[in-house]
Amino acid sequence: MPDHALTKVVAASPQRSLWHSVDRLRQSFVGSAIIAVLSVAALLGLWELLAWAYDVPRWLFPRPSDFLNRLVTDWQMIGHHALATSVTILKGFGLGVLIAVPLALAIASVPALERGLYPVIVFLNIMPKTVIGPILIVWFGISPLVAALIVFLMCFFPILVDAISGFKSIDPRLFYISRTMGASSLQGFFKFRLPAAMPHIFSGMRIGVVKAVEGVIVAEFIASNAGIGFMILQASAYMDVSLMFAGLIAAAIVALAFNSLMSIAGRILMPWANTAY
Amino acid sequence: MTENASPNSALSSGQTSHAGASIVATNMTKVYGSGDAAFHALGPIDLDIKPGEFVSLIGPSGCGKSTTLLMASGLEPCTTGTIKVDGKALTKPLSEVGIVFQDHLLLDFRTAMNNVMLQQEIRGLDKAQTRARADMLFDRLGLSHAKDRYPRQLSGGMRQRVSIARALVHDPSMLLMDEPFGALDAITRTQIRHDLEMLWLETRKTVLFITHSIEEAVGLSDRVLVMSNNPGRIVEEIKIDLPRPRPAHLGEYPEFSAYAERIYKIFAKLGVYKF
Repeated sequence: MPDHALTKVVAASPQRSLWHSVDRLRQSFVGSAIIAVLSVAALLGLWELLAWAYDVPRWLFPRPSDFLNRLVTDWQMIGHHALATSVTILKGFGLGVLIAVPLALAIASVPALERGLYPVIVFLNIMPKTVIGPILIVWFGISPLVAALIVFLMCFFPILVDAISGFKSIDPRLFYISRTMGASSLQGFFKFRLPAAMPHIFSGMRIGVVKAVEGVIVAEFIASNAGIGFMILQASAYMDVSLMFAGLIAAAIVALAFNSLMSIAGRILMPWANTAY
Repeated sequence: MTENASPNSALSSGQTSHAGASIVATNMTKVYGSGDAAFHALGPIDLDIKPGEFVSLIGPSGCGKSTTLLMASGLEPCTTGTIKVDGKALTKPLSEVGIVFQDHLLLDFRTAMNNVMLQQEIRGLDKAQTRARADMLFDRLGLSHAKDRYPRQLSGGMRQRVSIARALVHDPSMLLMDEPFGALDAITRTQIRHDLEMLWLETRKTVLFITHSIEEAVGLSDRVLVMSNNPGRIVEEIKIDLPRPRPAHLGEYPEFSAYAERIYKIFAKLGVYKF
C-alpha cells in the first residue's frame, strides 16, 4: 500500500539544529526530569537569597535550606508518615477501583439499575466528601481506616462515571461479531468489553488518583493519627513551620510518585494508546 | 459440501476449505416490537442464494437491508417465515460466517494481526494453521507490512482490509458485508472492490453484500436484488452478466450503463429520488 510513503519522507528528513536537540531533551523522560530539577532548584535558590537578603524570621517563614535539612535529619519520622499516607491512598484507591469497575459494568448493562442508581450517584458525587469524616470518626474512631474511607469516596466517583461511559461507548455491533465467534460471556468481558473500556476506566483512575492524593491530606487532618496530614497538623500545634514545609514537600513527592505510577501503568496496560499516529 | 475453490488456490490448498453455503429464505418477515409500537421492518421476502454466489442488496435507507443480513447470520430471528443456511433452519447465531460492517469495528487494543487472530483465540482453532491463513490473507489484501500496527495507525481503507481478513480467517462458508466500503474515498473503494473480487474468485464464499452504491453492486455481484422500503421488499432481481475480474472503470462495458440505468429507473419508480 502506498499509505506509508509520506511517513518515511517525513521521518527521513535530517534535523540537527540546536533548538531541535533541546526540544528532543524536553520530550525524553530523563531530559524533562533534568529540566524540572533545574527550574525547581532555581526557584528555591531565589527564595533562599531573598529570605537571606530581607532577613525574614526563620520561625515564621523558613528558608529552603531549613526545611530541606529537616527532610534529611527527620527522614525516618517523615518517611514513616509518608509511608502511612501512601498505604492510605493505596487502600482507598484500590477499594475505589474494585467497587467502581464492577458496579459500572452492572450499571452499563442493566438499564433499570442505571435509572435507579444514577440519581443516588449524582447526589453522593456532588456532596463534599469530607463532611462524612466526623460520622466515620463516630463509627470507627480516629484511625487511618477513616482516612482511607474518605480517600475511597473521593476517587470512587470519577472512576465509576468514566467506567460507565467506557462500557457504554462500545459499539453494540461488536457483539454481533463476538457472538458469531461463539464467545462466552466471560470471553466477551475479558477479550472485548474490559479492554475496550480500559482507556475510559484509566482516565477515570487518573482523575481518581489526583483526587486521592489531594483528599488524603485533608482526610488525615480530620480523621487520622498517622500520615503526612497528621504530621503537619501536629507540627502546626508546636509552631514547627519548617517541619510543616518539609511535610509539604513530602506530600508533593508522594503525589508525584502516584501520578508517575499511573503513567507507567498506562503505558504498560495500553500500549496502543501512546503509539505514534 | 462441494469444493468450489480452484484446486491450485493457495488459500484452500493444504487445509480443508469451506465452499460457500446456500441461503434460502421463504416468506421471511421481521417486525420489531409489538402492539401499537410494532414496526414492520421487513418482508415478506424470499431469497434463494446459491453456494458461492455473490449477491448484493441495494435500496434506500431503512429498507431492511441490514436486517436481512442479521437474519441471514441468525443474529436476529425471523418474526414469521423461515431462513435456511445449507438446508438447516437458523435458530441461533451462525458461526460459519464472517461479518464486515461499515465501521471496521476492530479492537483498538490489538494489533492488526492480533485482531484477526482473535478468531483463533475464541474459536479455539489451530494456531499455526490459522496464522498461516492470516498471513496469506494479509498478503492478498496488501497488508503484509501492517501486521504489528494498531488500528489507529492504519488508514481507513487498511482498517477495512483488516476487518475483511478477520471475517475470512476462520474459513467461513459465507461472508456478510454491510456497506463495507461506505466510509471510504472513491479511489480506495475501487481498489478494495477489486481486491475483494479477486479474493472471492479464489475462495468462492457465498457473499451477501449490502450497498447504497449502484457501481459497487454491479461491479461485484452475480445478482443484484433491489429493495423498496416501508416495509422492506425485494422489488426486482437483476442478473449481472459481465466478465470477471471486472475493470476499475466499469463504464468500459456498455452493459454496465444498461444495468445502472435499470436500477436508477426502479429507484425513480419507487420515489427514492426526488428531482
